[in-house]
Amino acid sequence: EVPKALLPVANRPVLSYVLEQLELSNIKDLIVVVEGADAALRVGGWISAAYVDRLHVEVATVPEDVGTAGALRAIAHHLTAKDVLVVSGDLVSDVPPGAVTAAHRRHDAVVTAMICSVPVSGLSEAGSSGAKDKTKKPGRYNIIGMDPTKQFLLHIATGAELEKDTRIRKSILRAVGQMDIRADLMDAHMYAFNRSVLQEVLDQKDKFQSLKQDVLPYLVRSQLKSEILINGAPQGQQAKENGNDKVSYRILANASTPSFHELYALGPNGSAPVRRTHKCCVYIASNSKYCVRLNSIQAFMDINRDVIGEANHLSGYNFSAQNNIIHPSAELGSKTTVGPHCMLGEGSQMGDKCSVKRSVIGRHCRIGSNVKVVNSVVMNHVTIGDGCSIQGSVICSNAQLQERVALKDCQVLSLSTSVFLSLSSNEYL
Amino acid sequence: MQFDDQGRVNKSKKRAVFNQPEAKNRVELFRHLPQYEHGSQLTDLESKFLELDSMHPAVYKVGVQYLAGDVTGGNARCIAMLRAFQEVINDYSTPPGKTLVRDLTAKISSYVSFLIECRPLSMSMGNAIRFQKSRIAKLPLTLSETEAKAALCNDIDRFINEKIILADKVIVRHAATKVRDGDVLLTYGSSCVVEMILLYAHELGKQFRVVVVDSRPKHEGQALLRRLLAKGLSCTYTHINAVSYIMHEVTRVFLGASSVLSNGTTYSRVGTACVAMVAHAFRVPVLICCEAYKFHERVQLDSICSNELGDSNDIARVPGRPDVNSMDNRTNEKNLQFLNLMYDATPSEYVSMIITDYGMIPPTSVPVIVREYRREYLLI
Repeated sequence: EVPKALLPVANRPVLSYVLEQLELSNIKDLIVVVEGADAALRVGGWISAAYVDRLHVEVATVPEDVGTAGALRAIAHHLTAKDVLVVSGDLVSDVPPGAVTAAHRRHDAVVTAMICSVPVSGLSEAGSSGAKDKTKKPGRYNIIGMDPTKQFLLHIATGAELEKDTRIRKSILRAVGQMDIRADLMDAHMYAFNRSVLQEVLDQKDKFQSLKQDVLPYLVRSQLKSEILINGAPQGQQAKENGNDKVSYRILANASTPSFHELYALGPNGSAPVRRTHKCCVYIASNSKYCVRLNSIQAFMDINRDVIGEANHLSGYNFSAQNNIIHPSAELGSKTTVGPHCMLGEGSQMGDKCSVKRSVIGRHCRIGSNVKVVNSVVMNHVTIGDGCSIQGSVICSNAQLQERVALKDCQVLSLSTSVFLSLSSNEYL
Repeated sequence: MQFDDQGRVNKSKKRAVFNQPEAKNRVELFRHLPQYEHGSQLTDLESKFLELDSMHPAVYKVGVQYLAGDVTGGNARCIAMLRAFQEVINDYSTPPGKTLVRDLTAKISSYVSFLIECRPLSMSMGNAIRFQKSRIAKLPLTLSETEAKAALCNDIDRFINEKIILADKVIVRHAATKVRDGDVLLTYGSSCVVEMILLYAHELGKQFRVVVVDSRPKHEGQALLRRLLAKGLSCTYTHINAVSYIMHEVTRVFLGASSVLSNGTTYSRVGTACVAMVAHAFRVPVLICCEAYKFHERVQLDSICSNELGDSNDIARVPGRPDVNSMDNRTNEKNLQFLNLMYDATPSEYVSMIITDYGMIPPTSVPVIVREYRREYLLI
């Protein structure tokens, strides 16, 4: 049905947040890579409708299950610039990509990853907000090791490896002296890569499937024993062996505080560099910025709530006096209340005596009377009968709910479902 | 621009590339110098990295490096800036309806004002920019665009090679003759020329030892110390509070300079004047090593009228010692103002000799060099 990139968050496809952020940063030439042919068609169609003049977007299709690394391999011939910014399409954030590229350029890094704090409601897929069970699903966990100045990335491990022990390179630890390991940060899936290094790694290591799980940890692990050639020449030596260039290079190198890479690369007694190193930088999104990935249903609901609530500058809508967004063509019955932090889409109709609290209702919905919608996301073209009560649920497009249905913490998927009974807690339909 | 002139400050803020909030608690005597809140500057600049079309990414990168303190030292900053300008010239293409000379000069001026916002220019950079603009202005009109660009890049290469690298080599040769066996040489802070001199003299086989004097908050001497030790020189490390105790052992003092002014005053890292004065009191010769492109025709009598103010938090805190923090968080108290000066002026009577690429000259000969040779290099 709807590809993940086009899932509506506050009635805008989630991809639009990414594109908006890139447009604000003046990045006009984009390549959007989509897995699967029909998803690509729909994404392409939506993009060309919405962004026809503002951005120049090429949509590339890759076969399913090829992984992010495979996707990049497929479009490698399109990449020409010196650095490449790779963003996941389900990232909702207002961190400027410029900050990540600035950190990348400042250190001449090979890869810079953006890290953000784990969203407060937790990463677990299971469990409504009242769940007492706090078992952490390892699939979503990240362990990130940084140097004390929080500029360089020393270790990154994603969930799957955490069942076993975490292994840290001793050489890195010895070179840097002190490593801070944090489990409360997660990878936000915005990376800046040096293009030639990225292409070299992708060419050499055929088995790498995912950027996050294979390429990035490989680059971080090998940063002090670099096997890659940067710009075709080993790093740290000038292309010309001209004496003058060496002197000016040395002046520049002596002027700056050497990072632990440079110190490690020096031979014994600090002579000329004998080991090749490359730098992996990290950019930590500040706490004042909003940065969440849409990777679970819980996250979907949280993002919807946040975009209408605290992070409402992201949604780009104008809020009415009661702190909610009601489209002018929406009709409300008598005695119907729409609370703050709510959104009502175009052409929706609500019956009498309804109450909507902290929810997002899509376009062209028909909602009967005496309906309570709390903390939920209702997508487009949904029909809800009278007397329903919907709490903490996601109801997808074209669904139909009959009368007196009570849903609590459910997800009603797939189109054309009619729900007759009451369901509760975590059921999918 | 004097920063206590509110009207002009507001005007320049409107033209500014990124907004810097001014520091609130400033020392009255230094109000004419720019001082900004350092905390958010870097994040503000970084977030604007891609937004400004008008700024070339190489120039932006250099600006970020200046702001973050990644690149310090007159020569290094000058080389970094000139290399960024080379990239700008290589990527430049004349827009239709404009001449290369005027448009490129305007572009370079805008980049320079951006770099000034990141960190005020050093005199070496100012001279290099003046050279660059004069070379652009002197381009013969008959050249095509590619030829003009190649000529300009060539000029930049020549400037770096002749005025910085070759000059350093000449200075090192001259200065090494002044180092004798059994000498105890003192140096302050970290000057790239002085480091080259010490390493060269060591390679020649002279027996001497080095005293490295360092100071807070930057501790620049530590990097120099590390490099000297790696090459096998015997070094002593001390802080500037002990300079009068160590001066009786010292036979010569080598100091670097950010610039030498026309009245013989040396404008250099704060603390240099102190070291030179103590050396003078102990009758130890003080040799300033400075390339000729850093000479300036300005005259300055004190360290107040032109200087640079650094971050006041740097002196309020001791990095790595969180227990020594009684001054921390007091930057906003009304009765307490922090002053972090970066440069000072050493009067010419404390300086015995200035070693430049034009030879070893007394401080009184600096205006002669500025007069005679400045015209020459503008004509090459």
